[in-house]
Amino acid sequence: MTAAIGPKRSLIARATDDRIVAGVALALAATAAALLAGGLSGYRVNTIGQFACFALLALALDLIWGYAGILSLGHGLFFAIGGYVVGMHLLEQSVAVTGITPDIVQFMGWTALPGWWAPLESFPVALAAALASSFAVAFAFGWASFRSRVSGVYFAIITQALVYVAMLLMFRNDTGFGGNNGMTGFQVVFGLPIQDPAVTKGLALASVLALLAALVGCRLLMIGRFGRLLVATRDDEVRLRSLGYETLRLKLAVWCLSAVLAALAGLLYVPQVGIINPRLLSPELSIEIAVWCAIGGRGRLAGAIIGAVLVNAIKFALSASLPELWPFVLSGLVIVVALIFPNGLLDLGRWRPTLWSRADALQPTDATP
Amino acid sequence: MTVAVLVEGLTVEFGSFRAIDDLSLAVDYGEVRAVIGPNGAGKTTLLDVISGVSRAKSGRVLFDEKIDLTRASEAAIARSGVRRKFQKPSVFEALSVRDNVEIGLGGARGADAGDRVAAMLETVGLADDADRLAGDLAHGQKQWLEIAMVVVSEPKVLMLDEPVAGLTDEETERTSALVRRLRTPGRAIVVVEHDMNFVETIADRVTVLHEGRTLFEGSMARARADARVVDVYLGR
Amino acid sequence: MQWRGAVAGLFALLAACGPAAAFDRAAIAGWSCAGASGMTEAANALIFGVASASKEDAAWAAALAGAALDRTLKCGGAAPAIETPQGPVDAVTLQPGAAGDGSAPLLSLKNRPLFETARAAATLFVGATPGERSAALGALERRAASLPTDIFERAADAETDAGLKERILGAGQAALLNSPDMTKRVAAIERIAATPDRRALTRIAALKADPAYGKDPAFKAAVDAGVGSIERWLAVSNALNALYNGLSFASILFMASAGLAIIFGLMGVINLAQGEFIMLGAYVTYAVQEAMRAIAPGALDWYLIVAIPVVFAVTAGIGVALEATLVRRLYTRPLMTLLATWAVSLLIVNLVRVAVGTQNLQFVTPSYITGGRLVMGDFIVTWNRLFAIVFAAVTLGLTWFVLKRTPLGLNIRAVTQNRAMAGCVGIATRRVDMMAFGLGSGLAGLAGLALCPIYSVNPQMGSNFIVDSFMVVVLGGVGTLAGAVIASLGVGQINVLIEPLYGAVAAKVIVLLMIIVFLQFRPEGLYAVKGRRK
Repeated sequence: MTAAIGPKRSLIARATDDRIVAGVALALAATAAALLAGGLSGYRVNTIGQFACFALLALALDLIWGYAGILSLGHGLFFAIGGYVVGMHLLEQSVAVTGITPDIVQFMGWTALPGWWAPLESFPVALAAALASSFAVAFAFGWASFRSRVSGVYFAIITQALVYVAMLLMFRNDTGFGGNNGMTGFQVVFGLPIQDPAVTKGLALASVLALLAALVGCRLLMIGRFGRLLVATRDDEVRLRSLGYETLRLKLAVWCLSAVLAALAGLLYVPQVGIINPRLLSPELSIEIAVWCAIGGRGRLAGAIIGAVLVNAIKFALSASLPELWPFVLSGLVIVVALIFPNGLLDLGRWRPTLWSRADALQPTDATP
Repeated sequence: MTVAVLVEGLTVEFGSFRAIDDLSLAVDYGEVRAVIGPNGAGKTTLLDVISGVSRAKSGRVLFDEKIDLTRASEAAIARSGVRRKFQKPSVFEALSVRDNVEIGLGGARGADAGDRVAAMLETVGLADDADRLAGDLAHGQKQWLEIAMVVVSEPKVLMLDEPVAGLTDEETERTSALVRRLRTPGRAIVVVEHDMNFVETIADRVTVLHEGRTLFEGSMARARADARVVDVYLGR
Repeated sequence: MQWRGAVAGLFALLAACGPAAAFDRAAIAGWSCAGASGMTEAANALIFGVASASKEDAAWAAALAGAALDRTLKCGGAAPAIETPQGPVDAVTLQPGAAGDGSAPLLSLKNRPLFETARAAATLFVGATPGERSAALGALERRAASLPTDIFERAADAETDAGLKERILGAGQAALLNSPDMTKRVAAIERIAATPDRRALTRIAALKADPAYGKDPAFKAAVDAGVGSIERWLAVSNALNALYNGLSFASILFMASAGLAIIFGLMGVINLAQGEFIMLGAYVTYAVQEAMRAIAPGALDWYLIVAIPVVFAVTAGIGVALEATLVRRLYTRPLMTLLATWAVSLLIVNLVRVAVGTQNLQFVTPSYITGGRLVMGDFIVTWNRLFAIVFAAVTLGLTWFVLKRTPLGLNIRAVTQNRAMAGCVGIATRRVDMMAFGLGSGLAGLAGLALCPIYSVNPQMGSNFIVDSFMVVVLGGVGTLAGAVIASLGVGQINVLIEPLYGAVAAKVIVLLMIIVFLQFRPEGLYAVKGRRK
C-alpha cells in the first residue's frame, strides 16, 4: 500500500473490496499456475485467454467509469486499434517466415503487403505502435472533449458515434486494412506456427498475467492519491477545480491509461482468435463492455473482471446451444442489474428485497449531464 | 495597503438576463466583507466570476492588484490563493473526511501535510470523524468540512457562500466563531449570507447588492438604517 | 429538287397561317391521279400539311395515303374514289356513293416512300392506339431530316401517352439536330439546351463527333455553349436534388431527435431505444396496412393516414410503459439509464426479429405519394419525400403547440428549467416525465411512419438513425425544439451533401469531426440555456 496519508484506511467497504480484489488476484494466479501445469484442452486454454482479454478490457473501462465517472461507449475502438496493429504484425511475420501470400493481398488487389507495415514485423515495434497509436487517438479525442467539458451522457454518446464512424471507415476497402474481411490467415506467432499448443498456452498465460498485473497495478494506483482525486472528480468536478486541481489533466491521464490498457487487451486477443475485422468496432460490442462492468460492479476493478468472465461464460455457453436466446438473456441481465443491483452483482450479499429503492437512493449518482 | 479583490465595471449576462450590471467593489486584506441582498441580486454570480466558474461579459476582477481573475482558469485562481465554499455543501462524499481535507491542500503538500490536516480538523471540530465517509456526515458537519477544505491551504481570499444556511442556532454560533478565528491581517473574507444576525457578528462591512448593482456599502448598523436597503431587502 | 423546296416553302407558309389551314382535298386527290409527278406533289402536300391540319383532315390524309399504298385508290371515274369493304367512297369527302371504277395509279419507287411517310405522319396524329402511333413514329424517325420541322412538336402537343410524347419530342429534336440546314441545327441545339436534362446532354455532346464540329466554328460554338449550359443547369438541379433529399432525411431525423432532446432536457436521460421506437412505428404502420388490406381493401391507399394516430398511440404507450417501469427508477443514474435503454432496444429488436422475421417489409405505395414532378433538369420533387417533409413540418407545428400552448407543455418547460421548484409549486414532476417520455416516443414512432415510403424497414433499421439523432441532440442542445430543427437540418444536409462527393462514410466522419470541433466553442450545443451551476 503506497497510501502515505490516511494510515487508518480500515473502512469496512474498502476492506471488503480489498478481500474481493485479493480473491480475484488469487484466482488469476491459480489460473496461471493451472495453465503452466498443463492438462487443459486447447479449447479450454484458448477460452481462458480470450476471457482474460475481455476482463482486461472491462478493467480498462472500469478505471474511467467506476473511478472517474466517465462512461465510454466506444472502448471497442482502442481494443480494435491494438487488434489491427497486431494483425499487421502477424501478417508481416507470416509472410516473412512462410512466404505464403496472405488472402488480404488478394482481396485488396495488392501485390504485396503495404511497405509501411514492414517495421511492424518486429514485435517490440508493433507493441509500441499499438500502445502509441491508441494513446494518440485517446489523447486527441479526450483533450478535445474534456477541454470543452463534455461529460456524462454527452460524452458517452459521442464516444459511441466515434466507434460507429470508425467501424464504417474500416468497413471500406480503401481505408486499407482489409475492409469487410479484415485480417486473417495468420500463420506464425513469435516464430512458431499458430496452431502449436505452446502458442495457445503462451498467449493465454500472457493474457492472464497481463490482467493480473493490470489489476494489482491499477488497484494500487486507485487507492492512492490519484485514485482519490479521480473519485473527487467524479463526485464534484467543479469543487475539485476550485480547490486548484486541473481536472482536465486528471481525466486525460486516466482516459489515456484506460485506452492503452484496452489496446493491450486487443493486442493479446487477436492472435488468440486469429481474425480482426470491423465487427469488433460495432457500437453493440462497446456497450457490452460497459454492461460487463455494470453487472460485475463498478469502481472496484475486481467487479469488472468478474462481470466480464461471467457474462462471456454465459455467452459462450449459449452460443454453442441456443444462440438466439443470448440477446434476451443479456438484456434481461442488464435490466435486472440496473433495477435491483445498482452496484452490480457484488451487491448480491447486501441485497434485501424491500430495500431496493433505498439502495438506488444511496447509489452515488454516476454523473451529472 | 493593497486591495485583495478589486472588481471594476463587472457585467455578467446569462442569455438576455443581466445578473451583474457594471459592478465595482473593493475588498481589503484583513477584512470580513458580507455581501447581502435579495435573491437574484447577483451575490452568488459575483463569487462565480471571482472563482472563475462563470465568465464576465465585460469588466475585470483583480486579485492582489496583479492577477486578472476573469482570464484565469478555476484551478489557476484557486492555486493563486483565492478559494471558495459553495452554497450547496460540496464535499466528496465517497472519500473520508481526512481525504477531503488532504485534497484541499492541493499541490502545496509539505512534510507537515499530515499535521496541517490534523490541525485543521481540530479547528473545525471534526478530528474524531476523520475516518468517516464525508457522505455520512450531518449537514452542519459537511459545511465545516467544506470550510476546512478551502481553509487548509491558507488562502489569501476566502469566499463563503451561505455558510450557515440550514444550520441550527448553536451550529451557527460555532460557525461565526470559526469565521472570526479565520480572520487574519493577510486574508480577505467574503461572506454571502441571508442570516442578518450572523452577518452582524462577523462582518466589518457589508455590501448590499440589488439587481446586479451596489445599493449600499458600509457597516451593518448603517445598512439597517438605510431606507433603500430596508425597502428592497431587510423589510420593516 | 427545286420543287420540293418551293412546295415546302409554300406549305410552311400555309402552316404558319394557323392551325385552321385545311387541305385542299380535291386538289390533292386530283394530283394523286395525275401520274408520277402529280403523286409526288400530292404526297408532299400531305406530309407538309398534316401538322397544321384539323383532326378530320389528318384522318383523311391517312386514309388517302393508305389507299394509294394499298392500291385501293381508284382513278378514272368522275372523281377519285377509294374502295373500302363497305363499298367505294369519294376520295375527297370519304362519303359513300362514288363510282368505284377505274384503276389504281401506279406507285413509283420514288413515290412509295413519300406516301409511306405521309401515312405515318397522319397516323402519328390520328392513330387510334399508342401502339399504332408509336409504329408511325418509328417510320418517321428514319426520314426525319426530310420532314417539316414542326410536325413532331405538334404531334407531341397532341399526344396523350406520356412515354410516347417524350419519344416524339426526342425524334423532333434529333431531326432538327441532323438537319442539313446549319441555322436549323444551331437553333435546335439552343432549343434542346433550354430544357436541360441528362438526355439532352448526351444528345448534344454526341454532336462533338459530328464532322461539322471540326469544320464550322459557329456550330462548334453552339454545341459547346449548349453542353456548358446544360452542365451548369444539371449541376444546379443535382444540388437541388441533394438538398431535397437532405431535407427529407432531416425531417425524419428531426422527428427522431426532437423526442430525444425533450427527454434529455427534462430528465437528463438519453433513450438508446429511440431508434427502436422508429422501427416500431414503421412496424405498426405495416400492421395497419395489413389490417386495412383485410378489412377495407378499397381504402388500402389511405393506410398511411389511418396509421398516424395508431402509431402515435402505440409507440407513446410503449414509451410511457418504459418510463414507468424502468427509466424513472434510474433517474439519478443517467449513465445506467443508457445501458438499461440499450438493453430494451436489444430486447425489442430481437422480439420483432423472432415475431415478424428479419426480412424487409413490403409497403404499398399509396397513389397520392407515387411519382413526383420534374421541376427542372434532373430535379424531381418526389411525393414520398415531400410527404415526409410536410409530415415533419406539421409534427413540428403540433409539438411546438403542445410545448408552448398547453398545460402539459408548460409543465414540461417548468420541470426542464427547475425540477425542484416545479415540484414545490405542485407540478407532478414524475407524471410530467412520463407524459414527455410518451410524447418523445410517439414522435419517434411517427418518424418511423414517415420513412416507410422512403427507406427499407427491418428490425435493424433503428441503428441507422440513432447515431445521427445523437449528433442532432449534441449539436442542437437540450430541451429546445429550435435547436433540434436547426441541428437536424445541419446534420441531414451535411450528410447528404457530402455523400455524393466523398461517400457516405466520409459524410459521417465529417459530421462527427465538425461536432467535436463545434463543441470546442459551444459545449452546451446551439441553443443552451446558460446559467450558473450552483
